[in-house]
Amino acid sequence: MELHLYQIVVAAIATIMIYQGLANFIKGKQSQTLLKLFTRILVWGSMATIAVFPKITNVIAKTIGIEGNINAVILTGFILIFLMIFKLLSAIERLEQQITEVTREKALENLENETK
Amino acid sequence: MNSQVQPKIFIAIPAFNEGKIIGKVVKEIQKAGYENIVIVDDGSNDKTQQKAKEAGAIALKHKINRGKGAATKTSIEAAKLLGADIIVTMDGDGQHDPTDIEKLINPIIKEGIDVVLGSRLQNPQGMPWYKIIHNKIGNFITWWLYGLLVTDSQSGMRAYSIEAAEKINTRADRYEYDSEVIREIYIYKLKYQEVPIQVRYTEYSMGKAHKQSFINGIKTVYRMIWNMIS
Repeated sequence: MELHLYQIVVAAIATIMIYQGLANFIKGKQSQTLLKLFTRILVWGSMATIAVFPKITNVIAKTIGIEGNINAVILTGFILIFLMIFKLLSAIERLEQQITEVTREKALENLENETK
Repeated sequence: MNSQVQPKIFIAIPAFNEGKIIGKVVKEIQKAGYENIVIVDDGSNDKTQQKAKEAGAIALKHKINRGKGAATKTSIEAAKLLGADIIVTMDGDGQHDPTDIEKLINPIIKEGIDVVLGSRLQNPQGMPWYKIIHNKIGNFITWWLYGLLVTDSQSGMRAYSIEAAEKINTRADRYEYDSEVIREIYIYKLKYQEVPIQVRYTEYSMGKAHKQSFINGIKTVYRMIWNMIS
């Protein structure tokens, strides 16, 4: 089976994302539940499967009615944008939580004064 | 919990721009017999913190607005630091009736329940029909994502034993916090009970635009799903 570069890249990224999820789960990180891990495997696994075995999408393509080589270009762009948005949103989420933690710590610092 | 010793009960309330009513809310709770009240002003633009303090509550303030979930968690953390045995959370707009507090804490004191969930849908009198539908959709989505079906997954009136409060670890800042607590109950297999509570839908509480509108509901679902895959 001949693999194109984008297929290898997508499969590699999906593998890394699934590996990170598995590692977090095995380490027992509280934010990584079994259900979350399952969802992560489902989302990234589906992307990798579609990238490596694009013929799977024939059924979808026939149903929607879009065909042609341009699909590969659109798919690559879509995946890259999806990846960027995913990472950006993850970073924003992490920052939001850090801001909340700092805000909480500052509020609780005043607790002693309040109870005097 | 040792039933011979009177448990130390703390009422934890997140509040955002509730300056007009927070003093009355605190007084009502005190009248119901509860003196330990922690208010977390979630970055309000009005005098919420000052009014709460004047009424006799312990009033903390988030420097910036972080959302209902974040403020509720801060109020619970404060109650834990102050030595609470049982923590009751309520909304700051006066929609919850302080006389219901007893119904929430009794199962913890007498039956050793970990978490008691106040349920508006077990007593929906006076509740607008669209809020009933909104809540039922919320219950379904919470069950679908987090695995536990309850009658009111979005209720802000709940009671926690200190053991449960130590275990529950949420990270949601906004309204999805209420559903995350349900997830934690499911994960840690905490003993929970639902009790009917009365809700007073006043002109004031219904007029608050930022509350659980349809758009907010969509945003909440989006954040719940996002938290699943990120």
